Amino acid sequence: MSADGFRIVGMQPTPPKAHKKNRLRGKPVISAALLFLIVFGCMFAELLMTKDPTYMDLAHSRLPPDGEFLFGADTMGRDLFSMIWYGGRISLAIGFLSMAISAVIAVVVGTASGLAPKAADAALMRLTEILLSIPNLLLVILLQAILGKANVLSLSVVIGVTSWLSIAKVVRTEVQTLRGSEFILASRAMGGGFVHVLRRHLAPNFFPSIMFMMVMNVRSAMIAESTLSFMGLGLPVNVITWGSMLSLAQNALISGAWWMILIPGLFLITTLVCITNLGNYLRKSLNKGQRNL
Amino acid sequence: MRSRVFTLGKNLLIFALSLAILSVAVFYVARLAPGDPLASYYGSRVEKLTPEARFAAEERLGLHDPIIVQYFKWLRGALRGDFGISFQYKRPVVEVIGGRIGNTLALGGIGFALTFALALLLGVFCAGHEDTFLDKLICKVGTVTGCIPEFWLSLVLILIFDIYLGLLPGSGAYSVGKADDLGDRAAHLLLPLAVVVLGHLWYYAYMIRNRMLEEIRADYVLLAKSVGLPDRKILFRHCLRNCMPTYLSIMAISVPHIIGGTYIVETVFSYPGVGTLSYESARYQDYNMLMVLTLLTGAVVILCNLVAQTVNARIDPRGRAAETEVTADVR
Repeated sequence: MSADGFRIVGMQPTPPKAHKKNRLRGKPVISAALLFLIVFGCMFAELLMTKDPTYMDLAHSRLPPDGEFLFGADTMGRDLFSMIWYGGRISLAIGFLSMAISAVIAVVVGTASGLAPKAADAALMRLTEILLSIPNLLLVILLQAILGKANVLSLSVVIGVTSWLSIAKVVRTEVQTLRGSEFILASRAMGGGFVHVLRRHLAPNFFPSIMFMMVMNVRSAMIAESTLSFMGLGLPVNVITWGSMLSLAQNALISGAWWMILIPGLFLITTLVCITNLGNYLRKSLNKGQRNL
Repeated sequence: MRSRVFTLGKNLLIFALSLAILSVAVFYVARLAPGDPLASYYGSRVEKLTPEARFAAEERLGLHDPIIVQYFKWLRGALRGDFGISFQYKRPVVEVIGGRIGNTLALGGIGFALTFALALLLGVFCAGHEDTFLDKLICKVGTVTGCIPEFWLSLVLILIFDIYLGLLPGSGAYSVGKADDLGDRAAHLLLPLAVVVLGHLWYYAYMIRNRMLEEIRADYVLLAKSVGLPDRKILFRHCLRNCMPTYLSIMAISVPHIIGGTYIVETVFSYPGVGTLSYESARYQDYNMLMVLTLLTGAVVILCNLVAQTVNARIDPRGRAAETEVTADVR
């Protein structure tokens, strides 16, 4: 019996293999390329910078963009073009660091809550909900006040500590559905401790579902950094980030120096849009099938 | 009937307990923060005070008692409606907040109503026209606006409409001497309102769209279609109605987002509302003010969470609440 004759009536033959050109279809190529460009530009900022980004050349204060100052100069006469690449590093670093901090807290709390008896679980969840019902802005101001003068690490901690609840909730739900499974029971029966079960059995299963939220946390952390720096609660003006560049914006408004507001903002937003697109793609592709590993 | 009273009692208890825990936490944390509350009370005169005068002043404000004693003193006053004096304004806290809360309610309330009315319209429109050019465009715009920090959007709007075009005022709630002019107030409200609405609209529209699409894929739609109902009728009569529980719970859960957004917008526009007030009080260690403001926002948020849960349980007893709760927090 030939393979050709073995065809059920009404069933479609398998579609021809996708053409090579189509392999990139539906994938966020532009976003990936742009993000790659920005990240690399920031990493190797020294090669791109035309001037020293920290040098204050007051003679060129608030100079509009021209041939020498490609993106113009800020109130202190610093070259915006160089500052963008140089400052992007810290902005990106804070984004990823805060994401890592929030993810670690979320995984630990979420797993503990998911494995705990019902009463303890309810109490824990209720308590975190109450604490996080304080608007984030206030919470961050309070924490910042306790931690003292802001630096990159303290700012990341503050943002990370205030943004883990949504991930923890997902982890908790996933753990609750997983904890009755035989493989968890077997592992525990063989003497597997909390960390072992979490690392070898739970984490691989819930990781795909929190992946997207982690990516989104990078985005919200970067927004938080810029908002805080703009309000004068984040990094000081002499630490260059996209956010602290915008902290001079009030001043720029009065003099109508649009380049000081638009350029750092556009870089920030472009990066965030790219991250979001990649995150959305991840969510779609990871949710395709059940992982049985 | 008995069970309804029971649920109400339980929720009230949870609400009271949450507020109590919140107040203890904020009280404690606020006093951990470094900084000199005397400085905000006496201003720069604080440096000229002799140590004795300083001690007496601190004694008068009750800053020497152990923190627990301070808390219970505060609580006793609070239960009688006396929330103390604002260190910074030297006036009763309630009075200061009372003078400003109207502005915030106007901004936040109108913003909230507009956001959700428009989000529903856009969401249903996009769901009805899935995968058309307009739908894709709106979704793309939504993705991009979701990435724009609110303060930056405010800055750009001020730059365009106030600095370059000179059409709309970009700061304050009214022009000098025109406090009673309603038109002037409305003009000042326009730009902040635009930021609040534009900053949140797309995200919720997108959520409603996705929920509607889920509903359109359901089996009963096929049945309704085979019976011969027109598309429009199926969409509005059946799908929309099934989306309402989600819509309501999204509305309740989104309150903290919108409050947070309003606070930032108020600060950028120097709009005299509760947001700028809480920002100031946290920066200048105005304890009494901070306590009341945090409890106020906390109470609204906790209340909204409870309402969301109850509404969901009443409209849709199958417990879809957990699911929407998670998705609403993604941002």
